[in-house]
Amino acid sequence: MKRIVIMLLLFFYTAGAFANVNLTPIDTLTTDSTFAVAKMDMRPYVTVSVSESNNDLPPEVFQYQPEIFHDSPQNNGQVNDCWLRLIVKNTSKQDVSYRFFAGWHDYMYWFFQLPGQPVQQLSATGLMLDNGGVERWNHYAFHIQVPASQTITYYLHIINKSYNENPLVPILYNEETYGSFHDVQLDSFRKEAVIIHVLLGMLLVFFSISIINYIQLPDKSYVYFAAYILGLILFFALRLESKPFQLSFFHKWPMLKYYWDVPGLLFCFYLMYLLFGNTFLNLKERYPFMEKVFTWVAAVVGGLIVLCMVCISAEKFHMPTIIYGYVYFLTLAPLLAVFIALARRSRHHPLVRFFLYGSACLYLACLGSFLLQVKPMGLLGALGELTAPTMLLMGGVLLQAMFFLAGLSYRNKLVHLERTRTQELLIKQLNKNKELQRKLNEQLEELVKEQTTEILRKKQELEEQRKIQLETEYDKKLTEIELKAIRAQINPHFIFNCLNSIQLFVMQRDYEYAQKYLSDFSYLIRKTLDFSRRNFISLSDEITYLNTYLGLEKMRFENRMEYEIVVDPEIATAELEIPAMLLQPYVENAVKHGMTNPKQPTGQLKIFFNQIAPDMLECVIADNGIGIARSKALRTLPKHHQSSGMEISQNRAELLNKMYRTDIQIEIIDKSLEDESNSGTIVKIFIPQL
Amino acid sequence: MIKAIIIDDERNSRDIIALMLERYCPDIKIVAMAGDCADGISKIMEHHPSLVFLDLEMPDGTGFDVLAGTLPHLHFEAVFVTAFEKKFIHIIRFSDVELILKPIDKEGLLQAVNLITERITSNNIAPRYEILLENYNNQSSSDWKMLLMDINGQFSTINIDDISWLESVNEHTLFGLKNKPTITSVQPFRYYAELFIPLHFYQINNTQMIQLSSIQQIDSNNSKILMNSGHLLDITERRQKDLLQKLGQR
Repeated sequence: MKRIVIMLLLFFYTAGAFANVNLTPIDTLTTDSTFAVAKMDMRPYVTVSVSESNNDLPPEVFQYQPEIFHDSPQNNGQVNDCWLRLIVKNTSKQDVSYRFFAGWHDYMYWFFQLPGQPVQQLSATGLMLDNGGVERWNHYAFHIQVPASQTITYYLHIINKSYNENPLVPILYNEETYGSFHDVQLDSFRKEAVIIHVLLGMLLVFFSISIINYIQLPDKSYVYFAAYILGLILFFALRLESKPFQLSFFHKWPMLKYYWDVPGLLFCFYLMYLLFGNTFLNLKERYPFMEKVFTWVAAVVGGLIVLCMVCISAEKFHMPTIIYGYVYFLTLAPLLAVFIALARRSRHHPLVRFFLYGSACLYLACLGSFLLQVKPMGLLGALGELTAPTMLLMGGVLLQAMFFLAGLSYRNKLVHLERTRTQELLIKQLNKNKELQRKLNEQLEELVKEQTTEILRKKQELEEQRKIQLETEYDKKLTEIELKAIRAQINPHFIFNCLNSIQLFVMQRDYEYAQKYLSDFSYLIRKTLDFSRRNFISLSDEITYLNTYLGLEKMRFENRMEYEIVVDPEIATAELEIPAMLLQPYVENAVKHGMTNPKQPTGQLKIFFNQIAPDMLECVIADNGIGIARSKALRTLPKHHQSSGMEISQNRAELLNKMYRTDIQIEIIDKSLEDESNSGTIVKIFIPQL
Repeated sequence: MIKAIIIDDERNSRDIIALMLERYCPDIKIVAMAGDCADGISKIMEHHPSLVFLDLEMPDGTGFDVLAGTLPHLHFEAVFVTAFEKKFIHIIRFSDVELILKPIDKEGLLQAVNLITERITSNNIAPRYEILLENYNNQSSSDWKMLLMDINGQFSTINIDDISWLESVNEHTLFGLKNKPTITSVQPFRYYAELFIPLHFYQINNTQMIQLSSIQQIDSNNSKILMNSGHLLDITERRQKDLLQKLGQR
């Protein structure tokens, strides 16, 4: 047992020792009655044929070729299609039963041949052939059962299409040893599976964190990081085996592992890494040249990924490894240069530090893992084995992911800090703005207030001015009208004719008459001057005035006219006030027209004062002249020759109405319009009592 | 002996004219008196007077109506007698017809009578009444004409519209006319001043008056005016603004 353990240890950890063992070839394994092995290297007994041949029938020629055997994974660079032949001769009297195990291969076909009989296929199995649920332990250790005194030739047809061939060493086990070998290998695989479990768990957490962060803060670098983690998850999940070479998840499509092996590495450690670096370090602003380099390299790597996948789908499994090998070697030095450049360029930037530490971890882990495997496996073999990551590599990946995540968190913090600072600034600015606004508002208000006051003041001024102007205008108009009234009422004709009459009486020495005439005339002039300055006079004054005036007129016209003034006895003439100089022009007009009627020898003039309502005085001036209509028609004189006494009186009434808000109405009726036989004019003046 | 008729609608007026003529003018004999236009015309046609004293306003017309009704048939001199002359002053003055104001003063009456007597005896026939009636029938003052007696006793008829400017010269008045030589009127400047001012004339200095519509150009500093008669007149400084204002109103 001790031997077995030592053998196994040798097989696993110092497998290289086997390669140097030189054994003498023996064509046939002869099992006599003393033959009893627990485990036996079958390399001397196995002959090999690598010639292209029918899949169903073994080739004719087999040679002793121990060099095709290897006890560690090996990159063949091509499809390995070989036949192994083992002849077992049982010379004992008992049946022998052993297990023949040649390693883990893609396709394996197991044949046997009895002497003189055709070759028969016993089983077909392999990593690429078996479906899920197949116990590979039982399948891959082929039964060798030789009855007593018989010789059987066994053939094993192995096809390995993938670039890395698992160890290929033919070993013969008895049932017992095979069981313990099985257990030991299972233990080591479980160890790795647990590690991958843990790693997958961590990666899933990283993935969740980055996705959550992206939702909280839409930053592209989270997306790249998440894609990177997702790529790794897929990469490791494909490796998650509960038993050796027995895929737990993807057994339905075992090729997926190959599809993602090299492309996954390129995707995670080149494409996403570069894109992540680009956005994470904000190279576009910080280091535009580097950004360009990163973008271009990423694009090229993207193209390579596609190319790898195409190669795999065309079953050229070695091509991706070669491509990866070139990429790996070509980028080693440039990556180092980039790290240094980045470090120099933004030495003090914490994000760069995170990125660099993460990158350096992976870089060193990768390099270390590579160097560790170069020795036993050769350059290409070691490269291929990077796809089956060692603990060191896994640690590197984990460290890188952690550094990146930490960097992202730090970036978050920076963004948060920046935001807080901006917010603070903004708040400060806002406060300042508010203050400014308040001040401005105050100023504006003050200005508006000032201007409003100014406007109001100006408006008031303007109004006052207008009022004054209006008043002056009124006054002026009134004065004008007054003056005109005086002129109209002291009709110059009348005055001078009166004086003329007085002159005659004097010359005729009729002094009595002259004196009466003169005193009446003087009274009239005095009263006219007096009244024209007043707006209102009592009705009794007006009656006396009119009486005097009419008396003088009567004297002038030698009794060719008669007049009568009738006052309603109800009227208190001394108290009642009427506008001064309102009636006189109408009376004068009546005198003038009353004497121009050829049909009437005597002019008849009547003046009535009636109280037609408690607050309305009516004054009627009636004559028996030709009537106002005919009088107007008779007037042939040019307009500027016409008298304007009545017009002035009308204006005066309007002005008084305006000034005292009363409503003096003047109505002029031609008698002939009502009755043809009648003639004359009636003027009705309605004076409201104030 | 000069035959005269008095036409006035007031008896007192007729009486005093008759009384005064009787007392102061023995050469004049009143042949008839009338109280209105119609009666006046018939009395004139009946008596063929050499002189008629005419009231301006009567119940059935004006003194001008009487002239219009009789002058085409007869020739006589007329003297207007009125208490108030303002309405018809231009018509009477422009035609150089005599006017006596009531109450009648002795000197005025005598002066008028003497002038008329002289006219009658010298047989001086200026077209006074033709111009008077023409102006009376003309509504627009710008179409009016004017009879001017110059210092040599010659008369000439001018359009008011043609008057460019007037100037006081030794108690007489020099008339500047559009397209015509100047004329020196016998009347003093003040006689015309009160007559013309209401008719858009303007006194630009102490001795000169212009018709506003005859201004051709005013120089830039408003001190000189070019009239359409071709004369350049000075304007008193204090009247410049007033003149511009008046021109602006037109």
